[in-house]
Amino acid sequence: MAQMPKRVKHRKVQRGHIKGNASRGNKVVFGDFGLQSLDTGWLKAQTIEAGRIAAQQYIRGEGKLYIRVFPHRSITSTPLETRMGKGKGEPEYWVATIRPGTILYELSGVTEQQAKICFARLAHKMPFKVRMVKRRLM
Amino acid sequence: MADLLNVEARDTTGTLRMKRLRKSGKIPAVLYGHGEECVSLTLAKKEIDRVVGHGGHIVELKGAVSEGALIKEVQWDAFGSSILHVDLTRIDATEKVEVTLPVELKGDAPGTKNGGVVSHLLHELTIVCPADKVVDMLTLKINDLELDQSLTAANVELPVGAELAGEATDVIVTCNAPTAAAGEADDDGEAPSEPEVIGEKKEESGDE
Repeated sequence: MAQMPKRVKHRKVQRGHIKGNASRGNKVVFGDFGLQSLDTGWLKAQTIEAGRIAAQQYIRGEGKLYIRVFPHRSITSTPLETRMGKGKGEPEYWVATIRPGTILYELSGVTEQQAKICFARLAHKMPFKVRMVKRRLM
Repeated sequence: MADLLNVEARDTTGTLRMKRLRKSGKIPAVLYGHGEECVSLTLAKKEIDRVVGHGGHIVELKGAVSEGALIKEVQWDAFGSSILHVDLTRIDATEKVEVTLPVELKGDAPGTKNGGVVSHLLHELTIVCPADKVVDMLTLKINDLELDQSLTAANVELPVGAELAGEATDVIVTCNAPTAAAGEADDDGEAPSEPEVIGEKKEESGDE
């Protein structure tokens, strides 16, 4: 099931602008390999879940998958065939805000070749450009 | 084993000038420590990439300054692909320094043949070590790691004269059977459709 917060301060938030590169969450921390985003955008909770399923079907309990992003932000929409006005729509789905450089997923306990194949399958699900990165020594 | 780094003195500072410096294939650095004056330096990008690439910590500076140094901190860009700045600290060969080194697992755990999965939990260890004995990487042999066993920081092979800065009981690697629904959400199907709003007043049923 797609993730969403348990408690929020505000149900609806303004759209905002995503500026700059990731200054946090841009380093492989838990695993040996990571999938890094190269673009800015919103990553839907359903997409995060689709990526998790795609990766776990490939690794099949051999390694461990870490999800590094969480959908904190609600996106609202007005229902179809509704007249304009009458205020902001209701929350429809949840997204994670992604900046260039953000690590989306991490893998450990697998070889580099396996990680490459796994992330290639996962990259097909992603709505923006991604690349595989390795853990840095320093 | 110290790597050789050719350094040049640097008298320019500032974001724009440093951007120009990086474009010309050089990396700004700073050398400090031992109560002496702080010196601004320039390193060749190729040389520092090679040293950082194999995890070298101790370097021998040559050029504007000729002394041994420890790579204290490396600043990376947002993508972690290129080095922006390097902090170097002066050291003597006999001096004890505190360094954080990556831990590499070696060998095959017998526990994996019995269906276990090796989980590397702690990837870095901080040790206090004589400067001339600092290695690029610490190794941990997992040839005796059976199912449902773990290895701690005490099992790591340390360089001669080195000691752990942290707890020796810190678990570094475990071998456990994979859980069936690892990472999967095991909901009862009654998950709320919307999160609870903090501070929102609920409708009171009882009225006076």
